[in-house]
Amino acid sequence: MNNEDQTNVISVTNLSKHFGSYQAVNDISFTVKKGEILALLGPNGAGKTTTINCILGFLKPNAGKVSIAGIDPVKHVVKARQQLAYIPEQVALYPKLSGLENLVYMSKVAGVNKTNAEFRQLLNQVDLPYFATDKAVGNYSKGMRQKVGIAIALAKSAKALILDEPTSGLDPSASHEFSELIQDLAKGGVAILMATHDLYRAQEDAHSIAIMNQGTLVHSLVGDDIKDVQLESLYLDHVRAVSTC
Amino acid sequence: MLTLKKEWLESKREGRMVWLSSIVLLLLGCALLSSWHSYQQQQVQKQQVIKSERERWVNQGDKGPHSAAHYGIYIIKPDTPLLIVDPGLSDYQGSVLRLEAHKKNDTLFRSIQDAIQMQRFGDLNPAFIMQTLIPLLIILLGFHSISAERESGTLKQLLANGLNPKRFYIAKVLALTGSGLLFFAPVVLYLMYSLLFSDSFSADRSTLFIVSYSAYIFIWSILTLSVSSYAKTSRSALIILLVIWALACLLVPKFAIEDAAQRYPTQSSQVFQSKLESEIYTPARQQAIAQFKQDTLAEYGVDKVDELPFLWSGAQLQFGENYANKVFDRLYSQRRKQLKAQSFHYQNSAIFSPFIALQTISMSAAATDLAHHQLFTNAGEKHRRLIQNTLNGDLKDNGLQSSKQNQRYQADHHLWEKIPDFHYQYPGIYQLSEHYGRAALCLILWLAALVLLSHFAIRRIEREGQ
Repeated sequence: MNNEDQTNVISVTNLSKHFGSYQAVNDISFTVKKGEILALLGPNGAGKTTTINCILGFLKPNAGKVSIAGIDPVKHVVKARQQLAYIPEQVALYPKLSGLENLVYMSKVAGVNKTNAEFRQLLNQVDLPYFATDKAVGNYSKGMRQKVGIAIALAKSAKALILDEPTSGLDPSASHEFSELIQDLAKGGVAILMATHDLYRAQEDAHSIAIMNQGTLVHSLVGDDIKDVQLESLYLDHVRAVSTC
Repeated sequence: MLTLKKEWLESKREGRMVWLSSIVLLLLGCALLSSWHSYQQQQVQKQQVIKSERERWVNQGDKGPHSAAHYGIYIIKPDTPLLIVDPGLSDYQGSVLRLEAHKKNDTLFRSIQDAIQMQRFGDLNPAFIMQTLIPLLIILLGFHSISAERESGTLKQLLANGLNPKRFYIAKVLALTGSGLLFFAPVVLYLMYSLLFSDSFSADRSTLFIVSYSAYIFIWSILTLSVSSYAKTSRSALIILLVIWALACLLVPKFAIEDAAQRYPTQSSQVFQSKLESEIYTPARQQAIAQFKQDTLAEYGVDKVDELPFLWSGAQLQFGENYANKVFDRLYSQRRKQLKAQSFHYQNSAIFSPFIALQTISMSAAATDLAHHQLFTNAGEKHRRLIQNTLNGDLKDNGLQSSKQNQRYQADHHLWEKIPDFHYQYPGIYQLSEHYGRAALCLILWLAALVLLSHFAIRRIEREGQ
């Protein structure tokens, strides 16, 4: 593993994926460094979820390469997945188990060895209300479920966090709380890839932004450019431009 | 252990497992208690009959040996304590055999004849519950075990977290098998109790019983989870599994029995009995007796039977017995050959139904199958021939004096006491492997096939999300 690989926790190089004649992802490349948040923007069908599935090793790319902390998920899927945490739009948990039990099971399955007190501490760290820790997650709000998801990432000491539409359906307060949590994770050195429609949250939280449309990476923004740009206009311009081509 | 614990917690909180388990355990408990009660009653009655029968025989008074041969002896079929768990064919086979001169009788006192109409409709014995209802319970507990994880997204999330699909699948199989074995626990406890406290109990038979039932539960658990991992939805998994259950536990066995009876037909008991009589009492028999008489007279160099140094009627009766025995041996051998072919054909169908495999092994272990019944009737027939030989021999050797005095020879209790008690013990179950070997092989093949299917089921889990 070279130095560049060490800083680039998530590395996607010339990735292409097609389903029959449909080109879902076409020759895209990007990296997410340690402590960086990359927001992947794009309309429905842009190829965001396909890209995430290739990173998670659920899909085998037709061309290109993916690497998680230097590990190729195509060759070593379980090892690669152990380096990351994944939080989908709807965090899937066992409704009959409590938040704590879900965290313990999901983490231990990933090879995490902690005491119940330590797991409880993690739920406390993500601000899951104390009364909810031992309650069945069947009655949890989406925000509470996502907190459990973040706690799993913390428990795993994941090097990378993949988020798929994390703030969709969250109220502004929960969205803000979630934003703070991922900012904290990034400060702790976790590389975060966030596929989202939420332009406001992307502009607020991300260190870099990549706009996708029809499987192609159409624009990238880094650092101060993000704060200075009219993101909505830029986004719509790119999405419309490609759509009319 | 992790997934096992999680599965247990979920099942416990869901309530479905608790309800289903309670119902099945209650049914199994009731069936065991009811069988235990009737077994105990039967054993007491059988012991009383054995004792009184011996007394009746020894105290029958002075009479001609041939009269005593017709007076007859009743012998009782032995049972193993496993009869409580699997009565098998015992209700249809009868448990008492009357041994008398010239006749090879069928067994008497078939429980089914005493059953009331409703009992004939369907008997809820422990074997039926374990062979038919426990697979259904395993299906109901496990049909959604993997498909629901897929539907809810937890499977993808677990995989993304670095779950090892193989370990996950094995843990699910163990959890489901454990639940199935839990229902089997009352029977295992009973077997252990019987092993410790019953003289007539065989460790070999109970080991075979426990191993084959455990394998059966394992087979249904793997089958359920394999289907659950392949099915797109829990609903389709349930439908597929219920169809497999109905085929394996109800339709294939029914069809296999009908098919075996069609391919290897046997005559009804009445027709067979009348055939026996028609083949014994023929002109050929008269000729054979006449020839035997001539040969005997020639052997002793006399012209009349009265001049023989023994009572001719005793020798003639034994000759008639020997003649009939040859006919019995020939016709019963043909009948047994057909029944064996039927049994083997039925066992071969176990390749399509693990139910048939288990049912065959279970009845064999419990000594309630046709093979054990035939062993008992064969032993009974051997005893009958010994009795006839002894009585006819006594008449032949000791009847001459009375005959010369124009008196009827009468034997007393000394002769009756010469007839030994009938004691029969079934051979060790492994000596009888011929009778259930095919079924055992099919059960092993089912296990092997399902282990192979598990490999593909694990691959299916690995491909989740693609």
